Amino acid sequence: MRSRNGNRSISLSICSIIFFSSLALNAGEYLISYRYVVKDAILYNESLSVAKAMKKCDGIQQTALELETNSSSDLKKIIIENSDEFIDYIHKLGMQVKHNDITTNAQYKSTTILTLKTTCFKVDFNDNFAKIIPLK
Amino acid sequence: MKRVISSSIFAALITTIFTGCSMFAKESSSKDLGEPVPIEKGQLIEKETSAPKVSNEENCGVQATGPSGEPLLTKECKLVITVLGQGVAPVNTVSPAQAYGLAKRAAIADGYRLIAEKIKGVRVEGNDLIKNMMVKQSTIRTCVDAVIKNANVTETTFKDGLCEVEMEIVVSHSQFAQ
Repeated sequence: MRSRNGNRSISLSICSIIFFSSLALNAGEYLISYRYVVKDAILYNESLSVAKAMKKCDGIQQTALELETNSSSDLKKIIIENSDEFIDYIHKLGMQVKHNDITTNAQYKSTTILTLKTTCFKVDFNDNFAKIIPLK
Repeated sequence: MKRVISSSIFAALITTIFTGCSMFAKESSSKDLGEPVPIEKGQLIEKETSAPKVSNEENCGVQATGPSGEPLLTKECKLVITVLGQGVAPVNTVSPAQAYGLAKRAAIADGYRLIAEKIKGVRVEGNDLIKNMMVKQSTIRTCVDAVIKNANVTETTFKDGLCEVEMEIVVSHSQFAQ
């Protein structure tokens, strides 16, 4: 024989397990890198790589960014849809600037490469928003 | 009689001593009142220290400058570095919007490069090839390598295929002190 209170506590714990496991299923860690090349003041190559992390990332959580998902769970698609916002955000995180120029017999050529080195991001998918938190 | 004389002399001596002291005291008090500069200075310093921390070089009082007059980064003052990056739209673009987007990205990269040059410096390498007393080839290479965080785009203009972005970054002493 079980008391009514005991049954309630069991059902509550089951509910909480289901709730937290569903939250865990919607969160993930991703590795993102971004790079573009500017040659003689013209943009030539822009690449964004998004991959799911194969092992757990370590690091302190930085300022989060929230992007609209439109009930999608494909991070690359979400980022491309909100590319301006995301690119502004990763510029703020810190970009590596590599610039080389050469002047040969008074003729000038320059190459600038901006890179976001592969960074781990924790992503929480909600109904309409994805919360992206860099781990550093 | 002798006693009276000696006592009067003693009394006179004491009175002169007291009046002298009081005059000195007066002089010293008048000196304190007459020289208000140190007190005002003290008050000014107090006001400066109680003021909120400055956010840029304009609000931080006297800016320290280097030998050639350029502003120096100090503990009290933050430096604001402003640059103008330029980028050009490629010829084969699908739409003006794409041209604007690509030119802006190039301009931002140029702005970042200029900030990196200002903050970290430029490595310059020059080579001249001279053959038979004549310059055959002259080459100058420069390179910059830095990581820039928290730079802001403050203004963007796009005209005749040229995009210009004004960017600024606030540099504080604590970012460099380790």
